[in-house]
Amino acid sequence: MNLTPAQLTIWNGLLASVAEEMGVTLGLTAHSPNIRERRDYSCALFDAGGELVAQAAHIPVHLGSMPEAVRAVQTLAPWQPGDIAIVNDPYLGGTHLPDVTLVAPFFWEGRVAAFLANRAHHADIGGMAPGSMPPSEELYQEGVIVPPLRLTAAGRLNEDVFALILRNVRTPEERRGDFDAQLAALRTGERRLRSLFERYGASTVFAAMEELQSYTERLTRAALAAIPDGTYAASDVIEAPDGSLLPIVLSLRIEGETATFDFSGTAPQHHSSFNAVAAVTVSAAAYCVRCLLPAHAPSNAGFFRPLRFVLPEGSLVNARPPAAVSAGNVETSQRIVDVVMKALAAALPGRIPAASAGTMTNFTFGGIRADGTRFAYYETIPGGAGAGPSGPGEPAIQTHMTNTANTPVEMLERDFPMVVWRFEVRRESGGAGAHRGGDGVVKEVEFLSPVNAAVVANRHRVPPWGLAGGGPGTPGTTLLVGPHGEPTELPAVASIRPGPGTRLRLETPGGGGYGHGPA
Amino acid sequence: MAAIGIDVGGTFTDFVLLADGVIRAWKRLSTPADPSKAVLAGLPDVPPERVVHGSTVATNALLERRGPRTVLLTTEGFRDLLTIRRQTRPSLYDLEPRRTPHVVRPEDTIGVRERLDAHGRVLVPLGDEELQRVVEAARATGGEAFAVCLLHSYVDDRHERLVAAALRAAGLECVLSADIAPEPREYERASTTAIAAFLRPTIARYLEPLQAALRGLRLIHSAGGLVAPEEALARPTSMILSGPAGGVLGALAVARAAGFDRILSFDMGGTSTDVALCLGEPSVRNESEVDGLAIRTPALDVVTVGAGGGSIARIDAGGALLVGPESAGADPGPACYGRGLLPTVTDANLVLGRLRPEQALGGSVQPKAERAAAALARLGSPVEAAAAVVAVANAAMARALRRVSLERGHDPATFTLVAFGGAGPLHACELAADVGIPRVLVPRYPGVLSALGMLAAPEAVEVQRGMVCAVDEAAAPAIANLAAALEREARQRLARFAGEPAALRWYADARYVGQAHELRVAVAAPAPAAIAEAFHAAHLERFGFHAPDRPVELVALRVRAEVPVPEIIFPRSHVASPLAEGTPAMVWTDGGFEAATVLHREALGVGATVEGPMVIVQDDCTTYVPPGWRGRTDVFGNLLLEASR
Repeated sequence: MNLTPAQLTIWNGLLASVAEEMGVTLGLTAHSPNIRERRDYSCALFDAGGELVAQAAHIPVHLGSMPEAVRAVQTLAPWQPGDIAIVNDPYLGGTHLPDVTLVAPFFWEGRVAAFLANRAHHADIGGMAPGSMPPSEELYQEGVIVPPLRLTAAGRLNEDVFALILRNVRTPEERRGDFDAQLAALRTGERRLRSLFERYGASTVFAAMEELQSYTERLTRAALAAIPDGTYAASDVIEAPDGSLLPIVLSLRIEGETATFDFSGTAPQHHSSFNAVAAVTVSAAAYCVRCLLPAHAPSNAGFFRPLRFVLPEGSLVNARPPAAVSAGNVETSQRIVDVVMKALAAALPGRIPAASAGTMTNFTFGGIRADGTRFAYYETIPGGAGAGPSGPGEPAIQTHMTNTANTPVEMLERDFPMVVWRFEVRRESGGAGAHRGGDGVVKEVEFLSPVNAAVVANRHRVPPWGLAGGGPGTPGTTLLVGPHGEPTELPAVASIRPGPGTRLRLETPGGGGYGHGPA
Repeated sequence: MAAIGIDVGGTFTDFVLLADGVIRAWKRLSTPADPSKAVLAGLPDVPPERVVHGSTVATNALLERRGPRTVLLTTEGFRDLLTIRRQTRPSLYDLEPRRTPHVVRPEDTIGVRERLDAHGRVLVPLGDEELQRVVEAARATGGEAFAVCLLHSYVDDRHERLVAAALRAAGLECVLSADIAPEPREYERASTTAIAAFLRPTIARYLEPLQAALRGLRLIHSAGGLVAPEEALARPTSMILSGPAGGVLGALAVARAAGFDRILSFDMGGTSTDVALCLGEPSVRNESEVDGLAIRTPALDVVTVGAGGGSIARIDAGGALLVGPESAGADPGPACYGRGLLPTVTDANLVLGRLRPEQALGGSVQPKAERAAAALARLGSPVEAAAAVVAVANAAMARALRRVSLERGHDPATFTLVAFGGAGPLHACELAADVGIPRVLVPRYPGVLSALGMLAAPEAVEVQRGMVCAVDEAAAPAIANLAAALEREARQRLARFAGEPAALRWYADARYVGQAHELRVAVAAPAPAAIAEAFHAAHLERFGFHAPDRPVELVALRVRAEVPVPEIIFPRSHVASPLAEGTPAMVWTDGGFEAATVLHREALGVGATVEGPMVIVQDDCTTYVPPGWRGRTDVFGNLLLEASR
């Protein structure tokens, strides 16, 4: 069955709203600041074969990695109605451990007809530091690893699994609230999808699922066909905690309507947390291509069909166990975007902007309140966007692989023993050029009780690049200011135990400038 | 008591006069340069005592960023609140993400050295010297409007008051966040306060001639209540979304009189469509976003989609048919009106015979079916393309209707769809069938429903204040104190223009401890048990689950004080005309052209029955009745349509 042009748009809306509505339920009922205020989650619908049909646009790093999770949990088949699988193993469908994915088979007339899935970034999943984004060296330090398991079996909660997970995290009550939200979101999706099957019949829904994938494939091929054929090389580096610079090397081949991302030459995996699993690399490259597509294009499996990947085994962009991966998801993914964008800039001059901040500046801390309760917090801090052909870069904005909101200071200071003294644009930090790069931010916080904190950032030594003659942005810096005002500069990756009265000052990079212009 | 409702739109200014049980409606061309001109010119020689007015002056000033140079004074360290906002980009996949500019230029922000903590304790005192410095700095900007928003001022506003006193002593007028939106979340509060300061002079200038001419002037606000001009000026952000509020209230008033109080209002215009759900009352939300800017002011919960009569259709690179959000607007307008070349929803309706070429929409130019067909030919065979364009537009609107009903826990099968706006009744029946709404009501005067709705609006103020605390018995005294303060303020504000409230209605913004998003819930009383009970029930309805054993947290308390207007007694007609003469025409129904009847609305007396396929035309609106739908005219002249199979 072929869909008419009108049906394509109508079904795009119907299936997307299943995913979007799951997202509304999850976002409004979750407890982790990461999920609730910062929308660090994704919801998606898959066909019976596990192919992505629709994904709500919340956070790009999940774009290519959700299908891996659905694939990974198939080891649990055969399914029963009421089964829900849980997984966070980065080597079996995950991204990094705080991202916990739930997958539910959808039954129609006694058979699995689709899968619904959601993934949410939990504020703590155990491991060596609160917030579970530590400067780790192997995966086991980053938290509890959950391979594909049944969280519910035939509608009954698997209490043993649940108890084991909750005993391994710092804030079990908050986790319970988040799992409730994830489960409620799956129920929402199930209800909406069921109403589509009831109303239109299974064969129509199946046809729509398949046709929409072909539709996205056509849009993707059209976008790739508009890029001149050729091989475009680019590279950039990750600043590893041990001081070394780890190259990420790309050779992007455009042939007709297809693109091959060949990362041969990239550094081997590293004894730090900057390793990306393959799904993260695919997500980052796919994000760049997605930016070339029209806004209404559905995110589904069709999008990946014209894309090929060559990812050297055991490298920074395709790590093997037991490499630590927490920063691979949030930092290396940003650098992969920079590399792909740099290659695209050569292919499409006048279309691609300069590099953005290139780091999420992950800030985690946790401790024990005066009343004995534990807390754990995680946030990412924005920087400047790269300037582009159409104008200056936007200051103080989340770019590329993240789009998480900040927690209002008035809420933060109620919930955690801290004072935020400054959260402002870091003036003059954007790169020079005909169009100036966007400025980064300065965020300065004071801890009111002893905490265990960590900052995982990058672009402290090698700044975001300018383009077409534009200058680089100013690199980031982290300063620790003791109670008596004595400042110490910290490395981009730092783990600290500041006492009360200590201030941490984070300055994030500005974006690169675009075009020759005033300094 | 005679009353007149006046709705200033982009093209027309609508008037609805209610006097001695008779409703009279007329229109005048709007005068965008000074909208009050058309208002005053259109008034009867002796204006009635009650003149109720709604306009898009505030909306347009904000959208065009037309207003005085506005300066924000905020806690030192947070000068870029309005730049950073919530630090997100508006669309995820955008090579060059940019936000819309705020009303305050980044360099026009002044940091004030002061600081409270989350409980209102002073961390950095605000001294006289600093106040003096701040006033000097404010003066030096050359700004004409000043907004003050300091951290945690919703808990304790003493520092904001000090800054205000110092500014006012120096002759600088200012707006305080503690007055405008005393609730937690600093960006949203600062944004609302800055916009209020920015809009106030524009609104004042606009209201001046009207106030001078009309003593009993009332203005409709975003939450569907009426206030005196002074109250509107004190809270200018409450005027921004007043436009759609009149329509929702009008739909509800008409439907209630006809015996239906659960409605979905459906207002389809040229560029967009507004839908809203009313469960006997319109639902209200606490926050809106207009052109990328947060506005923390109660407003009717209207969902807008970018599909209207002027929405342009095209085929994308993947072979899908897209309708909107680009619109042909008034210029060039739909292809059938002679200037545009691209096919629109209006062109599609014309080619399908649902819009009649003999009918001049909105007055002057007669639409030409052959121009519409030529434009649609860009998409394929004109007739099939037209049917497809209508189907896609309907799908977008159906999604909005599902969003306000199903997705919020309400079954559309228990509602009546009230269709109005130039294009609403053309699409209403097909849309109702798609969403599962059993009944459509087309009001007698669908083109002036917004002006009519203003006459049904109560005089009302809503007073709110943030207070984050556990909802338990220990908090009962604090909650009671807050409630008493809110009640006092609400009574005072209402008394200035309306008198004693007939009703006080309480609302709580509450959540489970640990959640970040509050639900606004109506509560029987401002007390812990009532708040918790209402919240658990609302959470279950909205999200399909609740946790009665989990602690509930209050974020803000609200009270709405109202003086209702006498219910509109809609004139009843006794002129029965069960049969009306029509003319035959071919109309595209469901897969082919069918012989249908075209009737004039004026010809439909009380009890007149209609049966699809049928097209019912009136001056500014057309109703399409598909096959399988039948209906009748009630004593008020409303058309009630139901699917008969």
